[in-house]
Amino acid sequence: MSRQLEFYLFHNGAYRWAPHKDLIGEWSRSNFVSLPTSFYKPEYALRAMDEWLETNILAEKLGYDGVVVGEQHNGPIGLSGNPMVITSWLAANTERLLIAAVGPLLNAYLSPLRLAEEIAIVDILSRGRLILGLPMGIGGQYHSVGVMDPTHARTRFREAHDLMFKAMTEPGPFEWQGDYFHVPYVNLWPRPLQQPHPPVWIPAAGSRETLQLCARRRYTYQSVLTPRSTLSRNCVLFRELCAEEGYETAPEQIAYVVIVHVAETDRQARLEAEPHVMWLYQNFFRSTFQDSFPPGHVSIASLRGMAAGGGYRSRDISEMTWEELWDEGWIVAGSPSTVVERLEELTDEFGAGRIVMIPDMGSAPSWMVKKNLTLCAEEVLPRFRAPGAGPVWAREDRRAPTTWAQWAAAGGEPKATPEARVEGDGVLDVRTAHVQELREPTRE
Amino acid sequence: MTESRPAAQPERSWKYYTKPEWIEVRGLPTAYRRGGRGEPVVYLHGAGLTRRWLPLFETMARTVDVIVPEHPGFGDTMLPPWLDGFDDLVVHYDELFDLLGLEAVHLVGHSIGGWLAAEYATFYPHRVNSLTLIAPLGLRVLDHPIRDIFRMTPEEAGPALFNGSAGPYAEFLSDGDEVETLVQGYSELTALGRLMWNPRYDVKLDRRLGRVTCPALVVAPDEDRIVPREHIGRWSELLPQARVETVAGTSASTGHLLIIQEPEKLGKIVTEFVTTTGPQGNR
Repeated sequence: MSRQLEFYLFHNGAYRWAPHKDLIGEWSRSNFVSLPTSFYKPEYALRAMDEWLETNILAEKLGYDGVVVGEQHNGPIGLSGNPMVITSWLAANTERLLIAAVGPLLNAYLSPLRLAEEIAIVDILSRGRLILGLPMGIGGQYHSVGVMDPTHARTRFREAHDLMFKAMTEPGPFEWQGDYFHVPYVNLWPRPLQQPHPPVWIPAAGSRETLQLCARRRYTYQSVLTPRSTLSRNCVLFRELCAEEGYETAPEQIAYVVIVHVAETDRQARLEAEPHVMWLYQNFFRSTFQDSFPPGHVSIASLRGMAAGGGYRSRDISEMTWEELWDEGWIVAGSPSTVVERLEELTDEFGAGRIVMIPDMGSAPSWMVKKNLTLCAEEVLPRFRAPGAGPVWAREDRRAPTTWAQWAAAGGEPKATPEARVEGDGVLDVRTAHVQELREPTRE
Repeated sequence: MTESRPAAQPERSWKYYTKPEWIEVRGLPTAYRRGGRGEPVVYLHGAGLTRRWLPLFETMARTVDVIVPEHPGFGDTMLPPWLDGFDDLVVHYDELFDLLGLEAVHLVGHSIGGWLAAEYATFYPHRVNSLTLIAPLGLRVLDHPIRDIFRMTPEEAGPALFNGSAGPYAEFLSDGDEVETLVQGYSELTALGRLMWNPRYDVKLDRRLGRVTCPALVVAPDEDRIVPREHIGRWSELLPQARVETVAGTSASTGHLLIIQEPEKLGKIVTEFVTTTGPQGNR
């Protein structure tokens, strides 16, 4: 075994009954932003959501390390408008699995303090199993939500990030006087269970600024759909930036997102996966330049780089073939041994210690997803773990106590006594005031 | 953030390009072009068609003094970090007029330039002798929103701007090199986003336009596929002294870019309005 890898499922919960790219022009230029809701049938949405949530729950039984929940808006590419809602449901319906919300769009929140509250709630509900991902949000989202301004995306994101983490980690109340937020009383109740805060992942195309943030704060850098050579370069740069901060990048700090499909043989894997992979690339990611890059979403320097280097137009991902997708490292499909070999090769190249595995390819039926996940769990996962080892959450129980008995033993004295003034008796400790002989005034 | 431009720029050989003059407005070098003599007329441009001395300006310059500055973030004027809304532009222009020694001006604005001209006139009504709004954006007209210009693809832009007849105007739509055209377009769209990503109107104009004391002319094309016709009527309701004029196409119907479709007709209408109103329009 060459390396240890953690495996996280990233099922998108797509609504797959949408028109193909050849036909969609009649109603919308793509599946982003403006496909009419006339394509939405509640029965199918219910089915999609059920399959999606069930797959996430199954991950625990199968022994995956965790699951990842994204945020999508205004279209069939994902029915997850708010990952904090979905992760709170997962927290209640699983016991041990790590749950990553990757993630809430800071810029979709009017105040980052609302998100800080939601994070704290889900962290408590899950007993400290929450991982927090903070994407900038793909361009399409900025057209949809109504409060997101792409021309301020980066600066507002940074301020919201700083305010949110200060609220989670420093004592309140304090006043925040920013360019975007002026909050006279930042005072976060409840607070996250994990200290100082849940682990953070940042999905990024690879801007130096974002990689620097990850390096500085020891966050995990999560890849997005970038060409293999770009991802390799990003990973090299990330390790350099970590070194500048005085430490060596942990493999867990690089999470590599990839479609993984395991079947009995290579031939069988391709038979099963190819139609769904093609559905995904032809319909799911396809978008216009204007939708993907609303004004200010990309810097002029990056735009010039894109245009000069062959640019966004030289590569229409909806035209890519199976072989091209394989070479780019965007799909890994085959027999268990083929998949093990290929994952070793790619994670070695990137120095990645975490696989974020897309198991559904957007349109695969539930039975196929389960077959893939079962084979992968039984035949692939053990190859990336110490002999007999379970998922990370089974090796050491890092959860906060789950029982009242444990809290009573661990809690110690509260910071204040709950008291009330009762006419005729004075100020009482309400915890014991219902017992006549304990009904004594606590003070004058 | 101020975006730096490359040191070596491709030669600017596109049609109607002229070298701009420069004036520094409190730290911001601002490009402008000027021609003609007579009443000072400041033309506030829309998004795109910058870095040019258009035939419309040439027509107007026969009878008036035409001053065409490039807004911060447009043309050759850099996008300054402080640009965040029309109020920033209004203040910028007030300072620019001082620097140019213009006590009062005639304002002509096309598209978002019309919106800007209207905003300026509500803040500084005594400095505006006349107000000409050509296919202006800026108002909220319920059930008649403007077209989403931020999502418009180049394929959609031609028909939307020229009512299906973009072909004859190709020379106006290129800034030479393909990459430079893309970069310039995206830069200007980013500046535009700073001004009007959301909301795409100013509801305060509904009340503030009552402050505009000078005569106003609202010019519409035959059919505007960016700004619905209902907006023209709303402008004339809100401006105390407004008149509406439609500039019909000679060979084809005029659209949002009537400024390049009918420069002669439009130039004549505008300069006649300016000279008729004269320098005392705001009194």
